[in-house]
Amino acid sequence: MLIVKHISKNFGSFQALDKVSFEMNKGDIVGLLGKNGAGKTTLMRILTSFITPSSGTVTIDGDDMNKHSLTIRQKIGYLPEKPPLYGDMTVQYYLKFAAEIKGVPKHKRKFQLAKVLQECDLEQVKLKTIATLSKGYKQRVGIAQAIIHEPKLLILDEPTSGLDPMQIQQVLALIKHQQDQRTVLLSTHTLTEIEQVAQRVLMIKSGRIVLDAPLDDLLKGTDPSQSQPLSLEQVFINHHQPQTSENTPQTPETTHQVSHG
Amino acid sequence: MDKIFALTKKELHSFFSSPIAYIILIVMLSLFNIFFFLIIDQNREVSLRDVFQLMEFMLVFFIPLLTMRLFSEEKSNGTMEFLLTAPLTLTMIVLGKYFSMLIFFTLLIGLTGTYYLIVEYFGDPDPSSMLTGYLGIWLEGAFFIAVGLLASSWTSNQIIAAMVSYLILFSLYFATSFTQYVSGSAEHFLIQLSTHTHLENFAIGIITPSDVVYYLAGILLCLVLTRLSIDNRLWH
Repeated sequence: MLIVKHISKNFGSFQALDKVSFEMNKGDIVGLLGKNGAGKTTLMRILTSFITPSSGTVTIDGDDMNKHSLTIRQKIGYLPEKPPLYGDMTVQYYLKFAAEIKGVPKHKRKFQLAKVLQECDLEQVKLKTIATLSKGYKQRVGIAQAIIHEPKLLILDEPTSGLDPMQIQQVLALIKHQQDQRTVLLSTHTLTEIEQVAQRVLMIKSGRIVLDAPLDDLLKGTDPSQSQPLSLEQVFINHHQPQTSENTPQTPETTHQVSHG
Repeated sequence: MDKIFALTKKELHSFFSSPIAYIILIVMLSLFNIFFFLIIDQNREVSLRDVFQLMEFMLVFFIPLLTMRLFSEEKSNGTMEFLLTAPLTLTMIVLGKYFSMLIFFTLLIGLTGTYYLIVEYFGDPDPSSMLTGYLGIWLEGAFFIAVGLLASSWTSNQIIAAMVSYLILFSLYFATSFTQYVSGSAEHFLIQLSTHTHLENFAIGIITPSDVVYYLAGILLCLVLTRLSIDNRLWH
């Protein structure tokens, strides 16, 4: 469904992504892990056409992003780290606007609006101004705008950041619910969230994919990259521990610096 | 076209949701009215020629206040990412925003249409020169809005956007003031660059192709540059 091939991105002399390649199939929920500054947001921004890669290709259902950017954007729903909301609009007006610019046909708009309001549990606040909503509601409005046009691929950048435990559970349930209808790429720093909803883990470090494995294999220890069952947290730490020349031979892949911030 | 209309509607909705739209409307109309009565009372002419010249001067001050938020606010709120990842072309985004302010400005100028009725009540004005005067002031406003839109696309700070607009509009408006320092083709260039030169003809009832082309070319140039500006934004 989604094929990412050799994507690289340079910002001046800084290489944010280095030949990233992976695939995602229909119905996959993939957790994207990595430290701050590892390149997660850059990767997601490339997948959503917000920025263009320096090299490499992205195809969704056979459509190449470089040639069919509009068609591809029609197939993607995206929630950036900071939900892109207009504080002066009511929830209903904002979602109606999102449906209009995302090309939902006129005759379907009312139905889609009712559907996402119900799915994201926003019925009771639909006439409220977005600026007056709690963070949890704002996040759900952000997810609602991302799915209102029935995208095939849903990309969520830290959708639970800053939420309380109850709100996190609600958002995770909502993400899990998407599995039947679409493919989901989820970026988060909270590993337990990945364990709850994802079937596969992509780990990115200094702009490179350092791990692409089914979650079950990692947890059971059947993945070739490890010799015993480990928690996701341990897997993450193992991949980010500084390696010395005494226990690990240094290769160009293991010597690049991890950027922070 | 549906998507451009949706963007225009959203801009107008946001604009009228805040007090700024009403404040600008009331302040501008009040100032227009005061100067209209002062000018008519002083000149004792059944012509709006001087009123149009004064409107032009006031537009230099007011248009940047209308346009400063168009892109700057989207950038500072993080909603630019929402628009640029939606299935919209850059042209749709630019036109949607441009048309919203053009509609607001048309409403504002439309409300001054009563001046014609007042002048007609007291005398026998030339309707064609009034009409061309209004066309001129509308084209000038449309040009100024395009300049403001362009300035707004350069920064996420609304104050900077307004200041840059002022700089450009004042330079265009007062270009003829610098003619005393130059001569020949440079002098001719400055005269042709000034918005003042081109509105003068409209205000006295003359429409020349060069005046119309000046405004249309200015609008088109600013819209194309705005499109390029959001395309070549820093994050690319």
